[in-house]
Amino acid sequence: MNHTPDTTTAGNGGNFDPQQAAALLDQTTRQARRTFTPGPPLLWAFRAVFVLVAFGGYWLSVRGRDPYSAPSGGLLAVIFVLVAINIGWSTWALKRAGAGVSGPAQRKRQAWLAVMLVAWIVAYAFTVPLYHATATHPVWALYPANAPLMIVGLVAAATAALRRDWPMAGTTLAIAIVAAVAAFGGPAGAWLIMGIGLCAVCLGTAAFKVWQQRRGVVRP
Amino acid sequence: MTSGELDPLIHVPTRLKIVATLAALPDGDALSFTRLQDMIGLTPGNLIIHLRKLEDADYISSEKTRNGAVSITTVALTGHGRAALGTYTRALRDLLGGLPI
Repeated sequence: MNHTPDTTTAGNGGNFDPQQAAALLDQTTRQARRTFTPGPPLLWAFRAVFVLVAFGGYWLSVRGRDPYSAPSGGLLAVIFVLVAINIGWSTWALKRAGAGVSGPAQRKRQAWLAVMLVAWIVAYAFTVPLYHATATHPVWALYPANAPLMIVGLVAAATAALRRDWPMAGTTLAIAIVAAVAAFGGPAGAWLIMGIGLCAVCLGTAAFKVWQQRRGVVRP
Repeated sequence: MTSGELDPLIHVPTRLKIVATLAALPDGDALSFTRLQDMIGLTPGNLIIHLRKLEDADYISSEKTRNGAVSITTVALTGHGRAALGTYTRALRDLLGGLPI
């Protein structure tokens, strides 16, 4: 972190002129926003690449197959590695942003994360009864491509709106809409639409985060 | 308007950094003393002096809690402090409005 030299200790402002004050206020606010942001822009940029590689790779692997069959083991291994990196990075960013922070907003965020964890588990656990019910191949292909992110996206958007976290509500609602639209792409096409759509949502969120963090207080 | 009309409690580099850092948190949330010290880059003694001045003016509130053998002090910006920073920011904007930035 860059620190502006402190010209005073405990005294008054001395020769602290308004231009210096404006620069210091903007710089400090930007640094603090960066520190307290749980989802940094770089993480969202990584997620954009991750969804494009995972969903796009899945589409390349299953397109044109009749009957529909599962993708190659190599691709699944790559996807699992990317998922693990995403979870690890997200957890680290959350811990870093929340270190030393306490209060009602922090507690609401933790409760929200618990709700999201349950939503993820429930959405994917549903694939087990589908499997045991010997779901047809198109159903088996469509459900994991769209439904979990549609369910998780809608739950996240509703709960983020309750917390008045409008940027998060917007991002997660966009994810749910992409998932709903992708369902019309069919068992293989759904993966491509998901990859492109989610990549656009993640890049848009990364751009918004950059703007949000760079926006000054005195000089927007 | 002149720089003399800027809130003298906030118009000090260190206190401006403290208030701006706490203002980046959601309303009502608090920051631990050690994290604030780490972010501002001050010695504990120096930080305590500035925090006391801000607390005397009701710009910040502090709370000491015990977690087993460890004592944790947290600091939060009050509604009054947030309003004072808002007034200070508007005054700065007015002051700089006519100046080339």
